Amino acid sequence: MLWKLMLKNLKKSDMENKKSSTHDRELRLSRMLNAPVELIWEVWTKPEHIANWWGPNGFTNTIHTMDMVPGGEWHLVMHGPDGTDYDNRSVFKEIIPFKKIVYEHASYPKILATIEIEEHGEQTLINWHMLFDSAEEFIAVAKKHGAEEGQKQNVEKLAVYLKQFANKTKLG
Amino acid sequence: MKTRRDVYQAIADPTRRAIINMVAGQPHNVNAIAEKFDMTRQAVSLHVKILTDCGLIIIKQRGRDRFCEAHLQQLSEVSTWVEQYKKHWERKLDALETYVEKLKKERYGK
Repeated sequence: MLWKLMLKNLKKSDMENKKSSTHDRELRLSRMLNAPVELIWEVWTKPEHIANWWGPNGFTNTIHTMDMVPGGEWHLVMHGPDGTDYDNRSVFKEIIPFKKIVYEHASYPKILATIEIEEHGEQTLINWHMLFDSAEEFIAVAKKHGAEEGQKQNVEKLAVYLKQFANKTKLG
Repeated sequence: MKTRRDVYQAIADPTRRAIINMVAGQPHNVNAIAEKFDMTRQAVSLHVKILTDCGLIIIKQRGRDRFCEAHLQQLSEVSTWVEQYKKHWERKLDALETYVEKLKKERYGK
């Protein structure tokens, strides 16, 4: 779906106005969370909380620096399940308490992330926008993740398959 | 059919994306494509060849002319990657949601 959109606008972005359009290098996510805005802000902005949910499944995090002011540094290390450490460095660009967080991911890939939170009574809507430097970089990163994801699913499928096989063998 | 080049390589270049865009609507004469770009005919031919190699376009001979036709089914591969990458981020939101629920239980006992 996204690609169809990209294709539709290729001419515009590539031939007419290279810089004006961002649709082919961005990702938008949103989620209504069942918690008040204060709590969402807290779990996003306090190192002891964000370390508990950031990063891919199975990873743990060490937050070294999280200076939430414009120009402030955010340095965290994600520890993969296999023991590999992934260094992550970002710089905060804009902070509006209980409303908005903008940071620029300084390690590869370069991403400008804008997180907006909106109060909806006891619920909170979170809008997450990620803008890549270029369409090329976006596709490259998407491809890498897609491949890893595919690989992971294959391994999971294989594990399930082998388990069945083992059970059958036992029964036989 | 196994393609010799991957689709990513094909669409990584702005000229090739522009060529895909041109032929996506209707087949174009190879010469007509070359005229649209501010580069040598040889350079455009190379781009067309890369697109042909990875199966995104096919060349059909019509009389004395050669026409480029789009063959875009392969591009679904790209949207699959993007979808999977999006899922990776959706899981981050899942983790946030789970953590918030846990925190709520700890603090308010509900």
